[in-house]
Amino acid sequence: MNDKLTPKNVILGLLVCFLPLLMYGIDAISLLLSRYDIYLDLPSGDYMLRIVVRAYLYMLLAIGLNIVCGFTGQLDLGYVGFYLIGGYTAGLLMARLGVTYWIALPLAVINGALWGLLRGAPTLRLTGDYFAIVTFGFAELLFRIVKNEEWLIGGPNGMVRDIPPPAVFGVVFNQNWHNYYHIILLLMLVVFITYRLQHSRVGRAWVAIREDEQAAESMGINVSRYKALAFTVSAAIGALGGGFIAQFQVNISAPFFEFWESIFILCMVVLGGMGSIRGAMIGAAILGSLGEILRPGFIIPYQFGNARYLIFGIILILLMRFRPGGLSLRKA
Amino acid sequence: MAQFLEQIINGLVLGGIYALIAVGYTMVYGIIQLINFAHGEIFMLGAYIALMLITVFGIPFWVALPLSMVLCAMLGMLIDLVAYRPLRNAPRLSALITAIGMSLALQNLARMIWSARDRQFPTQLLPTIFQGQNAISLPGGGTLPYRDVCIILLALVLMIALNRLIYLTKIGKAMRACAQNPVAANLMGIKTNQVIAITFAIGSALGAVAGIMVGLSESVTPTMGYYKGVAAFAAAVLGGIGNVTGAMLGGIIIGVAEVFGAGYISSGYRLAIAYIIMIVVIVIRPSGLLGKSTGTRA
Repeated sequence: MNDKLTPKNVILGLLVCFLPLLMYGIDAISLLLSRYDIYLDLPSGDYMLRIVVRAYLYMLLAIGLNIVCGFTGQLDLGYVGFYLIGGYTAGLLMARLGVTYWIALPLAVINGALWGLLRGAPTLRLTGDYFAIVTFGFAELLFRIVKNEEWLIGGPNGMVRDIPPPAVFGVVFNQNWHNYYHIILLLMLVVFITYRLQHSRVGRAWVAIREDEQAAESMGINVSRYKALAFTVSAAIGALGGGFIAQFQVNISAPFFEFWESIFILCMVVLGGMGSIRGAMIGAAILGSLGEILRPGFIIPYQFGNARYLIFGIILILLMRFRPGGLSLRKA
Repeated sequence: MAQFLEQIINGLVLGGIYALIAVGYTMVYGIIQLINFAHGEIFMLGAYIALMLITVFGIPFWVALPLSMVLCAMLGMLIDLVAYRPLRNAPRLSALITAIGMSLALQNLARMIWSARDRQFPTQLLPTIFQGQNAISLPGGGTLPYRDVCIILLALVLMIALNRLIYLTKIGKAMRACAQNPVAANLMGIKTNQVIAITFAIGSALGAVAGIMVGLSESVTPTMGYYKGVAAFAAAVLGGIGNVTGAMLGGIIIGVAEVFGAGYISSGYRLAIAYIIMIVVIVIRPSGLLGKSTGTRA
């Protein structure tokens, strides 16, 4: 987060801006080469772009989770619950009621924030493990509800089909490169807000609560209010991610929002180093793309199934043992 | 009426199983204040180990059961040694994240080795008493399989034995001392690490028995450790975490509530009932039914 216009940053910025062009360029080159019987056997640019969009989405979610886990130091095991709320709010509004995306997304965010506040209220005085358990139970309950309530969701297993893509004046944004710029804009917004919060009175209050709740209280920080704010902002960001994935995936169903997804996002935050926006983004970039590469059938043979979760588990154990501060230098 | 009786018995079977798992959670929590997420996975591995011993190695059931207990006890101690012991003085969040990582790794390891499909204990290799057709008829037309009677009795015997172990033996005394104050216990000459290892061993061995019971009454899957583990953890919370008697009581209550909820409300919400009980208990009375009130801190 330095605003210097160094060559490295400029190159990075240009790369981020023109990545879709690069991807489609690779496509074009391999098409050209195939005419001369040279086959590079690369995955298609569209597919790689999709992976990148998912990685950016995970960055957004990791930043959101980092507010509760990193800044205020509470272990949230149910972050996927807000992702689910955002996804289903936006998805149902758009697919069932025909609400346009530009209204459905803010509504999803508001709904998420509301639930964040609601979940926060009874858990304010809980600390440590008990908070973690309640958040876990909350997300699992939501998961059960969307899985079972067919009258509400529509399809079996919480399936919402044919969520329409966003459109402006008849221009439909359904290409992967549309989604690419879309998620970058959302991510920039989230990074901006979180960064400003972190370096404000609010962010300092959060960190004070993390370091010592009682000392913070005695210094005049309203612990309950600042914790509630952290839960709300974090939940809103999760719901924003959910709203995005609803239109990105077109069909969403309950398995998208399983408990292990929470742990996956937590893993990113821990890997990058809790309490740092940059760390959360780096962690998400590494694991988000690694998760895609390790999907069954790509490198790992199908019969091994979800071996990637085995790898994530080992990463968590090794990190806590040897590098509890994550990849960043801050000591935990 | 017959259905009601059968439900009660199913609830007691499930409750006994939950109680056996919950004891493992609660004993470890009582001493090192760690939610050992990997405990559910040990319980699952216990079932798989017994299944492998019986089907692949052809070992009779009554030998496979204690063998699986011993192997799981060793596994529990190993997990403590490599994953938790180095973090004894680290922030508690680190140990909790390690436990989650361990659970994730073990569950997916099991899935890689045995695949995700359901497995049953082969009936013809089990003692006749566990074979489904041997049952007592109940008044009103229901049946009570001997298998269920065995499970309930075995759970009961093990829990009484555990209770006696904790309150009457020297090691039990050491465990209670460590739970009260590990530093003071250490100063009194108790080898804390050894006591913690034994706690893990006992919890894991009981977990293995519970795993085999689930294998007998339902089926063995890689995710059973996660689903049953969470419900058992809810039982430990309900009874008052750290309290062994509470864990037994909580296990029975959760088991019966789950079976009744599934029978009379909706089977899709089977597990949700355990979660709801758990959340309500934590929010209203974090110390549980039998736990000492400790205020807001866990």
